[in-house]
Amino acid sequence: MTSRRTLLLAGLAAPALARPGFAADPIKIGMTQPLTGAVAASGNYVANGAKIATEVLNRAGGVLGRPIELILEDNKSNPREAVASVEKLVLRDKVPVLIGAWSSTFTLAIMPKLVEYKVPMVVETSSASRITTSGNPWVFRIAPTSEMEAVAFAELLGKFDPPVRKIDFLSVNNDFGRGAAEKFTEALRAKGAAIGRTETMTPEATDLAAQITALKQSDGDTVFVTTGVEQLTLALRQAVEQRLGKRIVSTGGSFPDQLLANPLPAGNSSFHILFYAPWFPERAPHPQLAETYTAEWNKKGWEFAGLTEGFRGFDAMLTVVEAIRIAGEPEAEAIREALWQVKIPGVNGDISFVKEGPAGRESGQNRPNVSVVRLSEGKASLL
Amino acid sequence: MDQTLQHLVNGTVLGGTYALLGIGLTLVFGIMRVVNFTHGELYTFGAYMAYALVALLQLDFILSLVLATVLGIGLGAAIELLLLRPMRRADIDSVMLVMIGAALVLQNAEMWAWGGVAKLIPNPFPGEPLVLGPVSVLPLRLFVLAVAAALLLGFWLLLDRTRFGVAMRATFQDPETAALMGVRIGWVNTATFALGSGLAAAAGALLGPVFIVSPTMGDLVGLKAFAIVILGGLGSLPGATIGGFALGYVEEFAGGFVSTEYRDAFGFLLIILVLALRPQGLVPAKERIG
Amino acid sequence: MSGGESANRPGQFMGYALPWGFVALLALVPVVFPDPYLLAVLTSAGIFIIGAISLNLLLGYTGQLSLGHVAFFGLGAYASALATLGFDIAIGFGLRLQVAPQPVWVGFLAAILVAGGFGWLLGRLAFRVRGAFFVILTVCFAQVLRMVALNWVELTQGPMALIGIPGFALWWPGEGVVELTRKDQNYWLVLAVTVLAFLLVRQLVQSRFGRAMVALRANESLARSVGIRVTHYLTVAAVISAGIAGAAGSLFAHYTRIIDPDVFLFIYTVTMVIMVVTGGKGTLWGPVVGGFIFGLMPDLLRGTAPPEVQWVIYGAAMILFVMFLPRGIVPALQALLRRRAA
Repeated sequence: MTSRRTLLLAGLAAPALARPGFAADPIKIGMTQPLTGAVAASGNYVANGAKIATEVLNRAGGVLGRPIELILEDNKSNPREAVASVEKLVLRDKVPVLIGAWSSTFTLAIMPKLVEYKVPMVVETSSASRITTSGNPWVFRIAPTSEMEAVAFAELLGKFDPPVRKIDFLSVNNDFGRGAAEKFTEALRAKGAAIGRTETMTPEATDLAAQITALKQSDGDTVFVTTGVEQLTLALRQAVEQRLGKRIVSTGGSFPDQLLANPLPAGNSSFHILFYAPWFPERAPHPQLAETYTAEWNKKGWEFAGLTEGFRGFDAMLTVVEAIRIAGEPEAEAIREALWQVKIPGVNGDISFVKEGPAGRESGQNRPNVSVVRLSEGKASLL
Repeated sequence: MDQTLQHLVNGTVLGGTYALLGIGLTLVFGIMRVVNFTHGELYTFGAYMAYALVALLQLDFILSLVLATVLGIGLGAAIELLLLRPMRRADIDSVMLVMIGAALVLQNAEMWAWGGVAKLIPNPFPGEPLVLGPVSVLPLRLFVLAVAAALLLGFWLLLDRTRFGVAMRATFQDPETAALMGVRIGWVNTATFALGSGLAAAAGALLGPVFIVSPTMGDLVGLKAFAIVILGGLGSLPGATIGGFALGYVEEFAGGFVSTEYRDAFGFLLIILVLALRPQGLVPAKERIG
Repeated sequence: MSGGESANRPGQFMGYALPWGFVALLALVPVVFPDPYLLAVLTSAGIFIIGAISLNLLLGYTGQLSLGHVAFFGLGAYASALATLGFDIAIGFGLRLQVAPQPVWVGFLAAILVAGGFGWLLGRLAFRVRGAFFVILTVCFAQVLRMVALNWVELTQGPMALIGIPGFALWWPGEGVVELTRKDQNYWLVLAVTVLAFLLVRQLVQSRFGRAMVALRANESLARSVGIRVTHYLTVAAVISAGIAGAAGSLFAHYTRIIDPDVFLFIYTVTMVIMVVTGGKGTLWGPVVGGFIFGLMPDLLRGTAPPEVQWVIYGAAMILFVMFLPRGIVPALQALLRRRAA
């Protein structure tokens, strides 16, 4: 583990001129992300994280003495195109391993193809529990499920003052939102919290007034909001507009980055469950790695807030490359075997896989870390 | 009761934005018989222009609103001259497809230019929401409502009281006779489409600070605008206004009291009902623009 | 080529030898070019070509533009998936409707029946209105279905998607009844269904029924006055068109093995419509020719430009085809051939 980290840092320090000369063909790694369409913003962040990791790793000498080539395909925010992008990556480019596909829907659409083509995929964002419980041995997820997130959050419940007594939900109407509402209900009920209302919104909706008015009728003290970044920003602003007067906690790693530059009026604050808090790389489980990632990102001049999502692509790339190194060859089945032995530090924390799902056909699931960030008047602080 | 009052206010505010979206589309459909799929993209365009002017160039919001509208008029005129004028003899389906193609081009060009990450326009009227008993509303929302009302009134006057309005109405009723009477149909069409586009851009610039600016913000808006136009009976300005408020109230109350899951479905169900039971729309044909 | 209008020798050649030769060529693709990526792309395009053929029946022969055609495609996909997976739902009054998992061919039939049934419903409802009203009504119809698929979680699993849908099972030479997992098998299946759909539509438009529809498109009031029962014909056309689209949806469900409410996306309808219009609406070969162009274009564009720009090119291609070949490629070619023959 230490040697791995030193290698990474050596790569960072090595000047561009001293780049090792690669004799061999590059090893291809396929990635499918939503680069256009409804959720393109997040997909591009994750893709950027993977690009950085590729550069850093190549500066450190690539893997197996060969350079790494990231082949990125757009899944156009739609499951049919997700399948098409994977067929292109596997059948045309012959990649031995994949990273993808942001939304659970896209990932689920791809999963039968992994079995068909016998190619492993590292899942970097999707949170639906059945991705790892349906018996697909080609799936290795580094992202937390909604359940893991809820359980980890429940441990931090004591840090809230005034305490969380009764909770409501405002969830986007997809597997992400519905899954979070279900799992947070279970985890927090176990901690003695009462459950109030659940309101849903379609992913495209911009006017959430009806939902917020309905939530106002509940006597809960905390609202859990689960949706993408844009809708989260809308929900927070419209909650202030209607004086919702409840504590708001967002789940799933979404962070309303626009509110850093354009904060809500004084006196309003919100809480966000994140998997990487880029303001405090020094407090990440592996500060050096987190600082490397953050510095490389900033060097590109990309949006600071994208760091909260980009690490997924970065960590996924580290995971895949480590598996290739262990496998000793860029072959799909060998990489799948090797993924079980991966044990590396990532920006989010240590990455390794435990078995989930029906015996004999288990999928891999990582145990990620969760941190809660408080946002108040454009300033972030750790809870 | 508290809830009902707040829903009423929400519905009115939402209805105002819907009416604003509906009039531009109504104008274009009523006079040109073009189902304008670029309407939602012009809305997006207006919002991005407002973002560029307010957030990047630090211009005044009202001035930016005017400039974004003017730019929207320009883009609309360009679309009309480049795509619609050569297609004047084509059937309604072909025109519709060209407009869908144009919408795809505009949306993705927008994404290419600005990136997929949403932008925020600072609230031009910062400060506390206005609170009256159980009801709370942002001053910005009231401003939107006032501008929507002013634009509706302005367009009604334009159609009813000006020479240009007479030419437009004549074109709507009988293009051939109008042409014989010396109306330059081509320019009436260009002006109509440009004005309709300008209204969409104005709506985008106006609602930009209320919501958020992203390349796909026009998708749902485009569909909603159609709903409003249908509800009002195609081509009627008062109809579009009524249709806008009707959709706003239906969504708000159905969302608040029945189910937020189906909130956006109620609007579409309403249209199916209207079309099945009363295809001429809520306002009958004789009261249309003509 | 459209409607077999001429009986002379070149016409015969065009009418029989050329199409069957084309089908034979397509059938040989997996043998000559066994590249799985090529087959995957062609299979996926083929499923949408079936959708386009069915849409052509409505758009091309009755002149009614349905922008909600994906509704039938999606209904077929859900019907077929649910029939093969089985379901157990409450239907009110404390009763439950239980369906055990059925073989895939039952799902395929269910897809056609359910989609056809909704086609009848939409036909009754929608043909009372024309033109832009019809267009918007059909768009709303597809949207409402999408909302139902999204929210009737007990039946459809909502946004969590129906997963584990079995592949198509068929009797296969030398193997008995097997689940089709190989690329070439699925390719041939889709090709066979495409040919069947094509023949069905051809049979239909060359019958008395088809002539009535064409008369109707040309002049509705005249058709009405000579005693053609307009609504009846339109409804029958809608039912058959919806049924074929449902079959395409079933193929889609068993090919991708997962269905979620995004199967009702508006862009899928647009894809089918542009296939028909580019090729030539109201011609039998139009949807096939247009289907090849717009079915393969996204894959040909991959890697040529940034993803957003690929979409810009796709949209621009739509505009250019409609503006410069408004009647479509097939009629333009026919006109060209006629001119050379004259």
